[in-house]
Amino acid sequence: MRAAVRTGWRIGAAAALRGRAGRPLSQAAGESGGAEGGGGSGSREAVERLVREHPVVVFMKGSPAQPLCGFSNAVVQILRLHGVEDYRAHDVLQDPDLRQGIKNYSNWPTIPQVYLNGEFVGGCDILLQMHQNGDLVEELKKLGIRSALLDAEKDQEKK
Amino acid sequence: MRGALLAAAGGAMGGAGGPLARTIRAKLTAALQPTHLEVRDDSPRHGGPPGAETHFGVLVVSGRFEGLPLLQRHRLVHEALRAELAGPLHALQVIARTPQQWQSDPQAPPAPPCLGGSKR
Repeated sequence: MRAAVRTGWRIGAAAALRGRAGRPLSQAAGESGGAEGGGGSGSREAVERLVREHPVVVFMKGSPAQPLCGFSNAVVQILRLHGVEDYRAHDVLQDPDLRQGIKNYSNWPTIPQVYLNGEFVGGCDILLQMHQNGDLVEELKKLGIRSALLDAEKDQEKK
Repeated sequence: MRGALLAAAGGAMGGAGGPLARTIRAKLTAALQPTHLEVRDDSPRHGGPPGAETHFGVLVVSGRFEGLPLLQRHRLVHEALRAELAGPLHALQVIARTPQQWQSDPQAPPAPPCLGGSKR
């Protein structure tokens, strides 16, 4: 059931900037997974295109409807709490090239990975802490997304 | 069988944990000089046999995190465990606090439950 959609990638529109997505410019690009180059689904260009597709992009195991990993599920649940249901989710279990490519791109070893406005913000642990300390509401606001939790508070006040 | 071998070799009984747990502890100690460190083998909760040592959770309290955003703190932890993450360490939960943060809230949330992962 693997979606082998390799054709049709058009490279060139957005040049992948080194240093994007939290990767320090001073850090040498020591990692070279087999996924890089050529325009496969794990190449920098392909990943760059995916992270810019939508204000909220998640790379996970499984899907929002059916997460296949507790950490990925936690990300889905947190977004749901904030009323964020419209986002791009990519199942890395369906695409090994993407699975390696996304790790190379962000220089981050694990899945899930959350991107807000094209920038890598972290995995499940970081998203949970952002949720707990109120940062996530603020970050969503910057994207023009009003967190459902703000409305929940308002309802409380009305009572 | 592998679990039994690891248990025998690494002394999984007692606080030290298996060989990977000890490596993780040693590397994090060397890299971050934590004032408090907890290393938890979550592998049994992810379907592995006892002593599988594939999924870990670490709680690191260190002054090195002062002034650093969460992303950078986690990157420091990953850097210390780069070899392990490229190898047997399949998943790593990270809590990274400054001593002040830990003092005001000395608790860590539990790991999310496993939902099967790539075994499906």
